[in-house]
This record gives sequence, C-alpha cells and structure tokens, in this order.
Amino acid sequence: MTGAADKARAIIESYDGPALRIMEVCGTHTHEIFRLGIRGLLPPQVRLISGPGCPVCVTPPGFIDEAVMLGLEHDVTVCTFGDLVRVPGTDMSLAGARSKGARVQVVYSPLDAVDYARDHASEQVTFLSVGFETTTPANCLAVERADAAGLGNFSLLTANKTMPQAYQALKGSADAFLYPGHVCAITGTRAEEDLVGQGVSGVVCGFTAPEIMCALAIILRRSQEGRPFFANAYPRVVTREGNKGAQGLVARLMEPCDATWRGLGEIPGSGMRLRDAYAAYDARRKFDLPHVEGRSNPACRCGDVLRGACTPHDCPLFGKVCTPQHPVGACMVSGEGACSAYYQYGGEQL
Amino acid sequence: MCVGLPAKVVRVQEGTAVVDATGAQREVSAELLDDLEPGEYVMVHAGVAISRITSDDEDETDALLEELS
Amino acid sequence: MSDTVMLAHGAGGRQTAELIDTVFKAHFDNPHLTADDAAVLPRPAGPIAMTTDGFIVSPPFFPGGNIGKLSVCGTVNDLACMGARPLYLTCSFVIEEGFPLERLEQVVSAMSATAAEAGVEIVAGDTKVAGRGQVDNLFITTTGVGEVMPGTHLAGDAARPGDKVIVTGDIGRHGCTILLARDEFGIDADVTTDCAPLWGPVKAMLDTTSDVHVIRDATRGGVGTVLYEIAGESSVSVELDAEAVPVAPEVRGVCDMLGLDPLYLACEGTMVVFAPADVADDVVAALRATDHSHGAAVIGTVSADHPGKVIMRTSIGTRTLLPQPTGELLPRIC
Repeated sequence: MTGAADKARAIIESYDGPALRIMEVCGTHTHEIFRLGIRGLLPPQVRLISGPGCPVCVTPPGFIDEAVMLGLEHDVTVCTFGDLVRVPGTDMSLAGARSKGARVQVVYSPLDAVDYARDHASEQVTFLSVGFETTTPANCLAVERADAAGLGNFSLLTANKTMPQAYQALKGSADAFLYPGHVCAITGTRAEEDLVGQGVSGVVCGFTAPEIMCALAIILRRSQEGRPFFANAYPRVVTREGNKGAQGLVARLMEPCDATWRGLGEIPGSGMRLRDAYAAYDARRKFDLPHVEGRSNPACRCGDVLRGACTPHDCPLFGKVCTPQHPVGACMVSGEGACSAYYQYGGEQL
Repeated sequence: MCVGLPAKVVRVQEGTAVVDATGAQREVSAELLDDLEPGEYVMVHAGVAISRITSDDEDETDALLEELS
Repeated sequence: MSDTVMLAHGAGGRQTAELIDTVFKAHFDNPHLTADDAAVLPRPAGPIAMTTDGFIVSPPFFPGGNIGKLSVCGTVNDLACMGARPLYLTCSFVIEEGFPLERLEQVVSAMSATAAEAGVEIVAGDTKVAGRGQVDNLFITTTGVGEVMPGTHLAGDAARPGDKVIVTGDIGRHGCTILLARDEFGIDADVTTDCAPLWGPVKAMLDTTSDVHVIRDATRGGVGTVLYEIAGESSVSVELDAEAVPVAPEVRGVCDMLGLDPLYLACEGTMVVFAPADVADDVVAALRATDHSHGAAVIGTVSADHPGKVIMRTSIGTRTLLPQPTGELLPRIC
C-alpha cells in the first residue's frame, strides 16, 4: 500500500460528517469497488450508489432485438463485444440467436470487426456499436477504416450514448458523483466543471485501489466545505481538454440524437448516430430495419436501481428469477451491472 | 463503463502501435494520439490508445491529498 | 498407406488393422496391451479408483502440448486426486476424415510419452472415423483405473475449518494458452500450457502425510470454480488471499487486456489441496521439491462462517465475496 492510499484510507475510515450519497456512474468503477471491497471501508452513513454507466445495462431490449433480427433474418454476421452476448432481448439474447444459427462473432475491438469484414467479403458484417464517449471513437475509427478500404459489407448498429445528459437526468439522485475517468480521458472535464455552477459536485476518478480511495477521500473532505466542488483525481490520464483528435473524429462522423436508456427511458440528445454522409455504414438504414419496441419484464426495477432509488435487494425478481445465470434485467447481465455485482459479491452483507 | 488497460508502447508504425502489458502484446490503433513514441505509456480501450499516461499514480495521488490537508 | 485418415480406417477391415499396427500398437506397446476384446489385468492390492473423461479441444495442438497429452493427464490426474496411483488407461478415438496421419502420430506419441511419465499402461483402445465436418479434428475419451493408496480418505466433503488451501502451481495457464492459440483476439504472449501428469506431486504429498483432506484438479472453470465446489460439498467457507494466488505475469497481462480473471481459467496441471494447518508447510515443501509443482503456495484458509461461500481478502485488506463463474468466458470492455 502506498502512502497516498494510506492517507486516503485514514480520511475515509475516520469520516464522521453527515450522511452522503455518492454515485459511481461508471460500471468499471462499480466492478472495481466491489472487487476491492471498498464498501467495507466506508462508514455507515456514506452510501455508494451504482449509476447507469454500463453501456450494456442501459442498452434497451429493442437494440438486442434489432441485432437478433440482423443475424437471423438478414443473414448478417453480428460482431460484438463479449459483454452483449448474454443480454436478454424481448425474445432471446444473441447467445440464443447463435444457437439458432446466427453468426455471432465476439471481438476485442471494433477494428477487428473491420478486419473480419475484409477477410469475409461474401458476408455482411455489422458491429454492435454500444458504449459511451470512451468507446465511440473506436467505433468511428472502424467506419473510417472500412470507408478507406471501400468495404461495402461493413456497418454499425449504433446505440452510443453520452454522459452529460445523463448527469442532468440523475441530478438529485446523489450528493456527489465519481466521474468516469476514461470518458473524461476523451471528453476532458469541462462538462463536469460546469456542473458545479448547477450545484452538482463530483470528482474524476481512476481505477486502481489508491485512485478510487483518493477520489472518495476528496469527496468526503470537500463535502464538508458546504459548497459544490469539482476535482480531477485522475490527472495522469485525464486532461482538461481531453483527446481533441477523438473529439474531432466523432464530430465528423456522428451527430447527437435522442436515445432510450434501459431503466431511465428516453433522454433527449443523449445518443449518437452516424451522419447522413455515412448512411451506407448505418445498419438501420442499410437493412431498412423496422422500428422495434422491445419489451422488458414489468416487475424488473433496473431503472430504480440505476437511479439509486432502490438497491437490488428491493427488486422482487432479484436473486429469485433474476440471477447471473438467468438474467431478466440488464443490471444482472454485465459483471458491471449493479444487480450482478450485488449478487456476485454479496452486496453489503460481508 | 470502460475497461482501460495501461500498457507500454513497444513499437509504432503508421497509425498503429504495439503495446505490452506485463508480457501480453497487441497491436492497437495509435490514430488518436499524435507522435506516440516507444517507451511511453498509454491507456488502451477496445483496441485503441485513448490517452497518454503521464505519471505513475503514487506521486499523483500523494499530491492530491496534500492539497486537502 | 495414405497420409490422411480415411473413412475406411474406421470400417474394421484391413486398413483399420494397418492403422492400429502402425500408429497405436507402435506407440502403446506394453505387456498388457490387448489385441483381444478386453484386457485381462492383475488385481491390485488396494481398492480401485476408476474414472472417464472426454477431450475436445480447439485447436488440438497448442504451445506445451496437444490433445493426446491432455487426454492422458486429465484422467491420470482425476485418479491422483483420489489418492490413486494410476495403473491402466483405455482410450477411444473419434477422428475426422482427412485428419493428417502425421498429426495423429504426434498425438499418439504424446499419449505414450505422458503415460510412461505417469507410470500408467494404455491397455485397450478403439478407433472410429467420422465424416468431414462431423467432428472437429479428433475427440479422445480415456478411462483410467488406479489403486488407492492405503490410509488415504480424500473426498470433496472432507475440508474442515482451519484447513489451509494450497495450489500446486501458478494458475490459469492452460485456459490462457488455448485462448491465445485460437488467435481470436490478436494477442501475443509467451504462455505455455501447464498440462502435466500429477501423480508425482500427489505421491510426494501423501508420502509426507496421510492427513490431506481434499485434492482436486482445477480444470474447467479454474481454481475459483473448485473453491466453490469444495466450499459447497464440505459446508465451509474459503477465505482466499487474493495477493497470494500465483499468476504468471503474461497470464495476468492477457487477462487484463480481455477483462478476464485468471481464477476462472482452466488449469490442466495444477491442483487445489486442502490440508490441516499443522501439515500445510510440510505439504508445500514436498510439492515444491517435486516436478510439476515447484510453484506450490498457500492461498487461503477454511472457516466455518458463511458455508458454501468463497471470501476474498483483497489487496487492501478488505473482504468481499469471490464472484461465481457464470459459464462462457467472454472478454469485456466494460
């Protein structure tokens, strides 16, 4: 343990201020906080809420339905991050579609999907373009690369989302945010700094144990000053300006659109789609997909969990019909989802 | 929301870099970072180097906590 | 003779005999190998242990081994986990039409060498050939018989509070090797399988003390899965010291890239051992002095609280549940 980590830990463990709700909006934070047992360090009046920052968790069932349709009805090879394979759609997941004969290819990078399309010229290949600002540049690079190579058989099914609108939607759900370090690596920190003017506090947080403890220590200390604050506790990776090249790339290829978040509903302007100039790489337009209104289990409380309005234990499905083996809601599917993390790591029981 | 892998740049070629994380190597896109050099550390996400890593975390967290007290 | 396996090789005629003579008999030669319908074997002094296992691996050849070596190690190690000295194996091949004979010889020769190292005789076998596309290269099933060493009472429900949990080496290398050999994710790393016959390490332990409670090889699902199995069967919990689990840096790097945990990657030459605290150091010392277990280490302790659970003591000293594996290992970005 480093000196900094010890110092941060001492601040966390000795906190005797008022009750605080801290929301980690990033699913990787949710995962690491559970894996490192960081909840065990917090005094009882400090509550960590797992927010909506897992692209898998907020992907609505209709998106999976579209992907399944591409695989089963349009004979498209569906390339995807592994995270999405088991996410339930209305009728089935991609793993289910694969067992019915769809070609589902798990890739590490969207660029690998482009390579796959180049090597399989006779197949139509669609990459499932999910993710926040961190991942969207990689998806845009894939389109740029396919375009440069003149690949007529590559497209994206987009469900990319942006965080600033989600912060607005979640304002009031927490006293302070742990801001997602890798989103900020791309976007910079201006949006988060501006939130201070609206009374929203938060700290940009890295992903190692010392970094997470340090960000929490800063929140606990600064909360006691009685006014909104912002700090970047991940400056080795995050700058104020962010990655200009990535921002320019995304702006060139994509434009904002309204987006449906599983559990949160439609948030205006919170999505990204390909611009008309790149319509040939947009699977929805290319395959003329009908609008799909996916259905999720009405008893599922993923939405409330994502807003911090309840814990997974308050959901009637949690741990009974909804388990990591048979997920009902998206929060149970991804290892990063709040429900999955509560189930897998025993929540706050230990 | 985004698993990031800190890795060391081993080789750089037009638009791509080979990065190393404790002996595991992979080619990633270097298109989003200008003038990447071997020996630098980068944060990799989904096969793309998204950011330079400018220091090791210990110095940095130490400095941040100093500001608090 | 052709240079690939043909359907006729499985038809039972002259070509079958030729394949058996030139490939199988040539390598498996031992006094008990039978040409009759069944091998007739001398009865061992102690109780016998018997087990069977099917082997399907894609690709069939990988750094540090192949499906042949795997098919012997898997069954020999299952016997060893029960404290049984492996004596005899049978093997059944299902080979895809068109599989190169040269590759088949490599598989069979690896089986023969591994059997010799493990001190086990391959006494009977069977060969079938399936049409192209009906089998992925070749499938092997092996059945093994061993003699249980006197005084051993190994069982999955025998772990007791206070026991130390030991692994016989660094974990996750086989799963990582196969992942890399499939070349699906473009990652390079110098990793070879841990695939090895483990009767030697088991004998070294049992020669040191008969007071070992559980031995299980951490194959599919890895060490994490075994810990949950034993915690459940013995109605105890395991407190795992995350920092003490040996993992090769390259395996760690591959796992970090793909968002996987080495605790769930398969091992084929690494076992998990539960032994009382007062003999644990001797057991580790005996393992470290034996081939295939030089990297043995204590990774945890058994307790009576939270039965059925595996609790992880983290790098910062906190406690959290170890997540249970959920089937297919998928790389993740989030």
